[in-house]
Amino acid sequence: MKIGLISPYAWDVPGGVQAHIRDLAYHYLDQGHEISVLAPASDESSIVENFVVSAGRPVAIPYNGAVARVLFGPVAASRVRQWVAGGDFDVLHLHEPAIPSLSLLACSIAEGPLVGTFHAAAPRQKVTFAIAPFLEPVIEKLRARIAVSEIARETLRIHLDTDAVVIPNGISAHFYERAEANPAWSRELTIGFIGRFSEPRKGLNILLEALPKIALALPDVRLLIAGPGDGMEAMERVNPALRSRIRFLGRIDDEAKASFLKSVSVYVAPNTGGESFGIILTEAMASGVPIVASNIPAFSQLLEDGKYGLLFENENASDLAEKLIRLLKDKELARSYSELGSQYAKRFDWAQVGDEIMNVYLHARGEDEKVTLLSEARSWSRLFTRGEEE
Amino acid sequence: MDLPIFIAPLIILLVIWYLTFSATRLDRLHQRVETSWANLDAILQRRASLALELTHFPETDPAANLLLTFAAHHARAADISVRSEAESSLTAVLLLLRQESWLVEKYPDLFEELDQITERLKVGISLHIEGVSAARARRSKLIYRIFRLAGKAPLPVKYAFEDDSLVEMQR
Repeated sequence: MKIGLISPYAWDVPGGVQAHIRDLAYHYLDQGHEISVLAPASDESSIVENFVVSAGRPVAIPYNGAVARVLFGPVAASRVRQWVAGGDFDVLHLHEPAIPSLSLLACSIAEGPLVGTFHAAAPRQKVTFAIAPFLEPVIEKLRARIAVSEIARETLRIHLDTDAVVIPNGISAHFYERAEANPAWSRELTIGFIGRFSEPRKGLNILLEALPKIALALPDVRLLIAGPGDGMEAMERVNPALRSRIRFLGRIDDEAKASFLKSVSVYVAPNTGGESFGIILTEAMASGVPIVASNIPAFSQLLEDGKYGLLFENENASDLAEKLIRLLKDKELARSYSELGSQYAKRFDWAQVGDEIMNVYLHARGEDEKVTLLSEARSWSRLFTRGEEE
Repeated sequence: MDLPIFIAPLIILLVIWYLTFSATRLDRLHQRVETSWANLDAILQRRASLALELTHFPETDPAANLLLTFAAHHARAADISVRSEAESSLTAVLLLLRQESWLVEKYPDLFEELDQITERLKVGISLHIEGVSAARARRSKLIYRIFRLAGKAPLPVKYAFEDDSLVEMQR
């Protein structure tokens, strides 16, 4: 099968959606499918994957509590048109087609077997109701919609009045299961945190606020923080007496992340909101580390209300401290979470998730059908090519 | 004032554009329903033939055989309104057999395929139902009825398949 994937966000900036597309592409390549990915890229030379096509330099706009690097405009539209026309795709899989970027462009100029995946979860916003009339005729063309979680599905239902099939994000469960612990990081009573900690919604502040209470109960506790950001700045908010217990590792790659998760005794996710799925939690579970997470909707749903990890009350530092102390002290509890979690994580392996997505592709596609440009867009591109020929 | 002379053809053009645009939208929704139904139908046919294969096994008792054959033939022949009932009874019979672990162990390939089909059916049904509701919702809008934008296309029928029994079958 020839599959076209579109990322709305810049390929050379790390992010959940991009990682999802990359892993999915590799998974299908291994299965013998043909893959082409279209994505914005700030620096084309930084793209290592030969199946990725750059659509141009993205623009940075603030969106949903973070800065999104997206791409739109007439030049981008003509790039998308060329890519779709020349791709001869059996299926076109658009990620985040409701975001003003490449996926939306592709959705409006192509027709046929189109599948869309909705990643984001957003609270009810008045502005979306204003733009819904413009989005609706475009989104309507998708033969099938996938939401990565029940929360993303609910977001879609509220804002665009359409239902979706829920297929979770995928991980390489084996990769995390088989990783080796790093002796420098593994010691008893180590709490691990990964994320862009300078963003308030990642909740590092709450964790730092909880630290004095934890240190009082467990003096040997240690906190390892990985992720891009200025560690010194964050450190300034911490009581100097506690600073020796905290270590910032900076940004780490996937291998280091896997061994990080293998090394620490507890993984903590104090995010205060804006999450739709929580892929890091599935990775943590796959590596067998017990989890303490805030009870925001995405995490409660993923951990099935605390069945697969301890939940604490969102933004409540003292509750977080209590839960962390409990899990660090109670070895039996930690082991049972670890065992349950690694079993549960298999459900998110690409072997399973990839099959489910392929299943949706097959449903979206009529016999021998191909993705084509809309007739209006076709005449545009004909006009273009004729212009070039002359 | 010359303005109204200018505006009248503009409005007419706009109305024509809007009507074509709306009709295209509906046409696309009809296409979506047709595709989803064709795919769903193909899987249901596959399941019916799998069910008939089951009846050839010496282990299945005559009563189950009778039910299976009856349900499978019904599911294959019935027109769409009767179809969902026939398919539901087929699901029920298959569910009964699926619970016999010794039978499943004896024919692992067949039951594995049955499980796969069940998985695909679930997605197929939800996509189809979604497409049908979208098309019907659009058709019920005033402008579509006044200008008969649906043309002669038949009203998409919701395929009422018991999703619950399929979920049960997974266990």
